[in-house]
Amino acid sequence: MIEESKTILLVEDNPDDVALTMRAFKRSHLMNPVVVVRDGVDALDYLYARGEYADRAGAALPTLIILDLKLPRLDGLGVLKALRADPRTALLPTVVLTSSKEQQDLVDSYSFGANSYVRKPVDFVEFVEAVKVLGLYWLALNQFPSR
Amino acid sequence: MKISSKARLAATLLLGAMVLIATSIGWAYAQVRAAVAEQQRCVEIAGALNNMRMVTFEYLLNRRERARLQEQAAWQRLEQLFAAPVPLDATAAGILANLRGQGEAGHRLFSEVDAAKPGTSAVDEVQRRFEAQLSSRILILQQNSLVGAEQLIDDAGERIGATQRRVVLITATGLAAMAILIGVAAWRFLRDVLAPISRLELATREVAAGNWSFELDTGSADELGDVARHFDAMTRALRDSFGRLEVSNRDLVALNKELESFSYSVSHDLRSPLRSMDGFSLALLEDYGDKLDEQARDSLQRIRGASQRMGRLIDELLGLARVTRAELKIQEVDLSAIAEEIAATLTRAQPERRVRWDIEPGIVVRGDQQLISIALQNLLDNAWKFTSKVGEAVIRVGTRHEDGGPVYFVADNGAGFDMAYSSRLFGAFQRLHHETDFPGTGVGLAIVQRVMHRHGWSLQADAAIGRGATFYFHPTERTEREDDRREQDHLAG
Repeated sequence: MIEESKTILLVEDNPDDVALTMRAFKRSHLMNPVVVVRDGVDALDYLYARGEYADRAGAALPTLIILDLKLPRLDGLGVLKALRADPRTALLPTVVLTSSKEQQDLVDSYSFGANSYVRKPVDFVEFVEAVKVLGLYWLALNQFPSR
Repeated sequence: MKISSKARLAATLLLGAMVLIATSIGWAYAQVRAAVAEQQRCVEIAGALNNMRMVTFEYLLNRRERARLQEQAAWQRLEQLFAAPVPLDATAAGILANLRGQGEAGHRLFSEVDAAKPGTSAVDEVQRRFEAQLSSRILILQQNSLVGAEQLIDDAGERIGATQRRVVLITATGLAAMAILIGVAAWRFLRDVLAPISRLELATREVAAGNWSFELDTGSADELGDVARHFDAMTRALRDSFGRLEVSNRDLVALNKELESFSYSVSHDLRSPLRSMDGFSLALLEDYGDKLDEQARDSLQRIRGASQRMGRLIDELLGLARVTRAELKIQEVDLSAIAEEIAATLTRAQPERRVRWDIEPGIVVRGDQQLISIALQNLLDNAWKFTSKVGEAVIRVGTRHEDGGPVYFVADNGAGFDMAYSSRLFGAFQRLHHETDFPGTGVGLAIVQRVMHRHGWSLQADAAIGRGATFYFHPTERTEREDDRREQDHLAG
C-alpha cells in the first residue's frame, strides 16, 4: 500500500456543499487530493475496492474521511458502523461534518466511533475557518499509528 | 340467598337455641324446686308421724291426759300436712295415700283405746288383752308409716337427682346444638364471604397490575356477587377507556416522532441551501468583487445577511422545539451563579459597554439546570440588548417576597415596551421593536415562556417605554414533569 498520497475522502451528496467544501479546502491551503463520493454505499465501495471501484484493489486508503450524516442509500451512521466493524478501516480517522445540531446525532456519531463532529455553519467565513482547523489538525498535527 | 338474610337466619337460630336453653334451665329449676319442696314435706310428714308415735306410745304407757291432748294436736298437724296441695308423681301419691290411710287407721285405733279407759270399769283381763292388742297394732301401723315416710324422702331425693341430671343433659344438648350451629355458620361465612373477598382482593391486585382481562365472573346472587359483577363492569369500562387512551397515546407518540423527524429534517435540509446562498455569494464577492459595482456587492451582502439570519431563525426555532421536548431533570439550581456567569460572558463580549450588574447572591430554585440556564440566558441577553442605548445601564436579578412565596425577577432600565402589546410578548417570532433598532428573531421570550411552562411556573412582564422592563417568574412546587410522570404511571399501570 502506498501511504504518501494523504487523500481525503469526502462523502457528501449535496453538490453545493461539495463545491463549498472544495473551495474551503483551497482557501485554507489544503493541497491534499480529495475524492468525492455521493453516498454511503459508494464510500464503502471506494474503501474496500468493490463494484465501481474494483480497480482500486491494493490502492492506499484515504488519510481522512469527511462524512456527512444525511446520505442517500446508506447514511453516515451506517457507514461509520461498517468502517468500525472492518479491521482495515477500524482506526481510519473519520470526521462527521454535518448540518445537524441534534444532540442525538452527536451522541450516535461518537458512539459509532467518529473521531470528531463538526457542524457546518451557514456563514461561509465560519465554514472556511472550521475546515481549515479541521484539516490542520487531522492532516498535519494528528499522529496516527502506521499500518 | 343474600348474606344479610343468611346472617339474620343464623342470628335467629342462635337466639332460638339460647331461648330454648334458658327455658329448659328455668323449667328444670322449677322442677328441682318442686322436688325439694316435696322432700321437705316428706321430711315434715315423717317428723309428724314420729311425733305421733312417741306421744301415742307415752299415752299407752302412762295414760296421761297431757299425752292424749298431744296425740290430738299431732294428728291435727298430720292431717294438715296430708291436706296441703303438693303435686306429686303417681308412686309418691300412692305412698302418701297409704300413709294417710295408715295414719287415719292409727288415730281411729287410738280413739278406741282411749274410749276403753281402764279406770272406768273393773279390771278385766279380756279388756286389757284387747287393749294391748290395739296398742300393738297402733305401734305397728305407726312403724310402717315411718318406713313409708322414709321411702317418700328417698324417692324425693332421687327425683331431685334425676331432675338435676336432666338439666345437665338439656344444657349440654343445647350447647352442642349451638356449637354445631356456630360451626355451620362459620363454614358458610368462610365459603360465602371470606373466599369471595379474597378473590376480590386478588382481582383488585391483578387489575392494579394492569391485567385488564381479569374477570371475577361469579354466579352468586348475594351482595358480594353484586360487588363482583360491578367490579367486572368497572374493569371492562376501564379496559375500554384505557384502550382508547392507548390508541390516542400511540397517535401522540407517532405525532411526536413525526415532529422530531420534522425538526431533524429542518435541522439538516433547510440549512444547506442557506449555506449555498451564503457561500456562493461570498465566492462571487471574493472572485468577482472587483468587477461588480457597489450596488451589486451590497445585494450580495444582503443575500448573505438574509441567509445567516434565516440560519439563526432555524437554530432558534429548533432550540424552542428542544426546550419543549427536553426531559426535565429537577435539582437545586443556583440562579445567582448562572446569572453571574452569563453577565461575565456578556461583559467580555462587549467590554466597551458600561453596565452595572446587580445580582442578588444565593438565589436557589428547584428546576432543570439546563432549561433554567437557557431561560436566564435569553432574559439577560434581552436586558443587555435593550439597555444598549442607555447611558447608565442597570441590570438586576433578585427576589421579591410575596404572599404566595418568593418571586424572582430580571429587571433592566432599557428601552422597555408598551404594555398594550404585552399579549404578543411571549409568542414565537413576535417582536415589539424594529430589527434596525434592536436585532433579534423574536424567539427568546417564547423560549423563556416555554421553560417556565415546563416547570409549571408563571411568567409575568412589567414594562414602560423608555423605563425598562421587568420579568417576574414565580416557582411553585408542582412541575410539568411530575404531571407527565403521573400521567405515564397512570398509562403504564
